[in-house]
Amino acid sequence: MSEKGGKGFSLPTGKAVKSSLKSTPSTKDASLKGKDDSSTKSKKGRKVQFDSEGLHEPKSNFSSKFDNPAAASGKADWGKGGKGDKVGNGRKKEPQPLELKIEQELPQSAKCLMDCEAADILQGIQEQMILLSKDPTIKIPVSFDKGLQYAKRTSHYTNPQSVRKVLETLTKYGVSDGEISVIANVCPETTDEVFALVPSLKTTRSVLSQPLKEVLSELTKLKQST
Amino acid sequence: MFFHIVLERNMQLHPRHFGRNLRENLVAKLMKDVEGTCSGQHGFVVAITGIENIGKGLIRDGTGFVTFPVKYQCVVFRPFKGEILEAVVTMVNKMGFFAEAGPVQIFVSNHLIPDDMEFQSGDMPNYTTSDGSVKIQKDSEVRLKIIGTRVDATEIFCIGTIKDDFLGVINDPATA
Repeated sequence: MSEKGGKGFSLPTGKAVKSSLKSTPSTKDASLKGKDDSSTKSKKGRKVQFDSEGLHEPKSNFSSKFDNPAAASGKADWGKGGKGDKVGNGRKKEPQPLELKIEQELPQSAKCLMDCEAADILQGIQEQMILLSKDPTIKIPVSFDKGLQYAKRTSHYTNPQSVRKVLETLTKYGVSDGEISVIANVCPETTDEVFALVPSLKTTRSVLSQPLKEVLSELTKLKQST
Repeated sequence: MFFHIVLERNMQLHPRHFGRNLRENLVAKLMKDVEGTCSGQHGFVVAITGIENIGKGLIRDGTGFVTFPVKYQCVVFRPFKGEILEAVVTMVNKMGFFAEAGPVQIFVSNHLIPDDMEFQSGDMPNYTTSDGSVKIQKDSEVRLKIIGTRVDATEIFCIGTIKDDFLGVINDPATA
């Protein structure tokens, strides 16, 4: 079917090839005749027709199967196909493990912060805020307090610089900034835990296991003694 | 997770704020306007950490207001699909439980709680395993994975799951 869809940019031309035997000039006529014609041809006609329904289908989420015809069907349908695509991807994602796609979603300038780094920064700001708060027009927003509280609670390490330094050794194995931050935030104990929680790392598991093990043992030394 | 990010905003300033304190006024207004807001792309703006650059002001036609393009650094908090977070449980009911990670609200439906955990009603509603060894109730800390996000004008709402390896209760306030 997809092959037909591929040609079928041209649904009409596909028929036109057949209809050319009959040498009908207009393709629309050809399709009409195709339907009215003998059994074999009418079957094909129907199949093609089904395909053409397929072309419109991407609107309603069934895109993945119909991607090809949608792509082949020219610009007008591209847009619809695109939309369908997104929904389709969203669906496809569910069976697959969810992967972090921080880099795609944020501007380049964004720098991931580990919770312990954020805690440091926010703590510093809070001290300034106390000075500022003499000015009654400036209110400390709720989200700041909550953010600080959260950062403090989840930061397992006292010294962000050394944590960063240890984890940065992983960048040469293709571990992204976002993944590093997640590792620092969840404070895992075993490599299995890391691979379960950050499934995007699984692809490089064979290379990563050993250095990751070393990094984790380094990190446990840096852990806050609570 | 937290991010350090540079954002830009056009600030309109009334002429009464001009003078030698223009810059301070501008920054104060920026903090008031921006901190605590939230957007789908950046998440919550938790705090402004610095001003990168204030551009040339442009007088608005018809009003005396002047628009300044301001570039500022800030710390934002944005949850991502697939991210692992540690959150504090705020409410438990038979539909699931709500938790909070910083400014973000997370709902974990009972379908996304491991099957061996049962809802127990009472004055302290909770989810408990059949042997009673693990309990999720208000103020429990759980490690969860974000599987969906929705952004409002003022808040970000997430759907999370604890039905996966290495997810679930971290510490139990009842036993701690």
